[in-house]
Amino acid sequence: MNNREKADPTATVDEAKQPLIDRTDLGLTVVILTISGILYWLTTDFEKVADLFAQDVPPEFFPRLLIWTIVILTLALPFEHLFLKRRGESLEKERADHIEPMAYLTAALLFAVVASILLLGTSLSMVAVCAALPVLWGERRIKIILLFAIILPLLVTLLFSVVLGVHFEPGIFNVSLR
Amino acid sequence: MEPVIQGLTLILDPFNIGLIFAGVVIGVTVGALPGLSSPMAVALLLPFTITLDPVPAICMMAALYCAGTFGGSITAILINAPGAPPAAATALDGYPMAKRGEAGRALGLAAVSSVLGGIFSLVVFLFAAPLLAKIALQFRPPEYFALTVFALSMLASISGKSSLRNLIAGAFGVLLGTAGIHLTTGVERFTFGIYELTEGISFVPVLIGLFALGELLGQSQALKVTYERITSVVVKLPSMADFRKVGMTILRSSGIGTFIGILPAEGATVAAIMGYNEAKRWSKNKEEFGHGALEGIAGPEAANNAATGGAMVPTLALGIPGSGTTAIILAALIMHGFRPGPYLMQETPHFLYAIFGAMLMANFMFLGIGLGGAKLFSRITLIPRQFLWPSVFVFSMVGAYSFASSIFDIWVMFIAGILGFLMKRHGFGPAPLVMGLILGKLVEESLSQSMIMFDNNWFKFFDSPIVVFFFVVTMLGLFWPVVRMAFNRLFNRQSEPS
Repeated sequence: MNNREKADPTATVDEAKQPLIDRTDLGLTVVILTISGILYWLTTDFEKVADLFAQDVPPEFFPRLLIWTIVILTLALPFEHLFLKRRGESLEKERADHIEPMAYLTAALLFAVVASILLLGTSLSMVAVCAALPVLWGERRIKIILLFAIILPLLVTLLFSVVLGVHFEPGIFNVSLR
Repeated sequence: MEPVIQGLTLILDPFNIGLIFAGVVIGVTVGALPGLSSPMAVALLLPFTITLDPVPAICMMAALYCAGTFGGSITAILINAPGAPPAAATALDGYPMAKRGEAGRALGLAAVSSVLGGIFSLVVFLFAAPLLAKIALQFRPPEYFALTVFALSMLASISGKSSLRNLIAGAFGVLLGTAGIHLTTGVERFTFGIYELTEGISFVPVLIGLFALGELLGQSQALKVTYERITSVVVKLPSMADFRKVGMTILRSSGIGTFIGILPAEGATVAAIMGYNEAKRWSKNKEEFGHGALEGIAGPEAANNAATGGAMVPTLALGIPGSGTTAIILAALIMHGFRPGPYLMQETPHFLYAIFGAMLMANFMFLGIGLGGAKLFSRITLIPRQFLWPSVFVFSMVGAYSFASSIFDIWVMFIAGILGFLMKRHGFGPAPLVMGLILGKLVEESLSQSMIMFDNNWFKFFDSPIVVFFFVVTMLGLFWPVVRMAFNRLFNRQSEPS
């Protein structure tokens, strides 16, 4: 019997209760392997070049080496929880709760803002995010939101557009400080 | 002597001093704010610095890096919420001290320990970087390949609980780096017919997305979190009795932090944990740890700030980042047209002294700011999330866009942000991916050149003793837990009575 078993007589019982494979990690493994499979398939589509020109290092050589490395490492993922448990660690705490609806809503709002930059222009997109995100996150003091949505984009536009000389997308309303 | 004078002259320019001061103020502010981190701030600063001269740009980032590492200790001590991961160990004893009415003493000790750790590592940096660069001048592509493989293997212990996930993220980062036109043959890889991808995936939007947007999405789930605050703070410098008690701890932790920082990929967080553990192991009053032990503050604070100077050594001397933040500084160097590595030291030696001067200045500046403005910085956490994080998104969006004036880069930032959020949830840190992305080109280039040199014969790698050394160290590093387990079993079996 080693020291660890002496110190924790319930360890063997606990380990016996544990499933061999972590189901969340198994799902993650499937996702990563699928992505790796797609990426490997993409490497078969790379333009072929003569060995002499490629100097024995064809363009698909290194990406494939990496994909194989990722695949081999990923195959150990479903069993990793057993090793983490032995060290008294777990990843379950971080992912025990579902992703909050607010995270989805925030991502959707930001997606809409990014998608509308060409239409609204960079400055108005900043105004939109400064007005909409605080409201989405529960802020209800309208005057403060309005001030924030005007002052911050104005300062950022001045700094980047006028001081640093960055060209901002004017959008269909042609809003530009330069 | 001329490069020293040239480097220090650059730093003593009033405009550059102003930039370093701005870097320190931003660093302490960002460090003090839970959720915002030094890598995120340096990534957001990157687009601003592109318009600056290279030396002040890098010096400002280096100053931010030092100050950001210290800033985390303020909120760790006052509200038990480490502003940055390297300050997590400081909270273990800093907050109990603050609760028993000694917040000022704890803050003073944290500031002084940080500065002493920082100065110690800068002295080492000043001598070690040129020495390492001199050795690295002998390196050919095979040695560089072995070194980068070693650096990538070190990602296993960079952060988080899972070495396996860090390695996968690192390999994925290197794979991302292969997108674009293949240097040797000119063949397009993973470009999906998108013109913007032919030059590869730009570092800036990926860095900003992973660090800033990923965290923003995480924060959207913690809108109701509040902190219990210690309000009565009068910062006190440590007394002579305190110094006598923690002097050896500071010295030991400074050494540990510098060494950990010099190791590729290992940053301030690992250094702080080791600094804390060693402080406890050597302490005569182990029972005080967790209840407000002075060594429990001095150990991690000296170590985490010493790691910043240490991390600059491989970054500048070898072109191999010493931590997540220095990976971004390395990206900035590349964007400014520098070739990080031994040739940087040879061609622009004044650069080293300028960075040394900037980091030294930053250490004294944050001592002043930390001692004088701790109360103010602790109030930064009062900024409502509802306004703080939209500001971060605005800077992220404009920062990602401004580097190439490209809407495509904003999409890259957005996708990287979603990826960063999901990765973090499943235990994959953003730092290994970033380091992989930045090292990717160097790994492939050195491997391709080696294979051409060796006529595609892998065994010729083992002709070089340096390569063999790095490969052995890499294998030992990767399989150390297994080796240790085997040793333990053997030892236990031998020590058991028959």
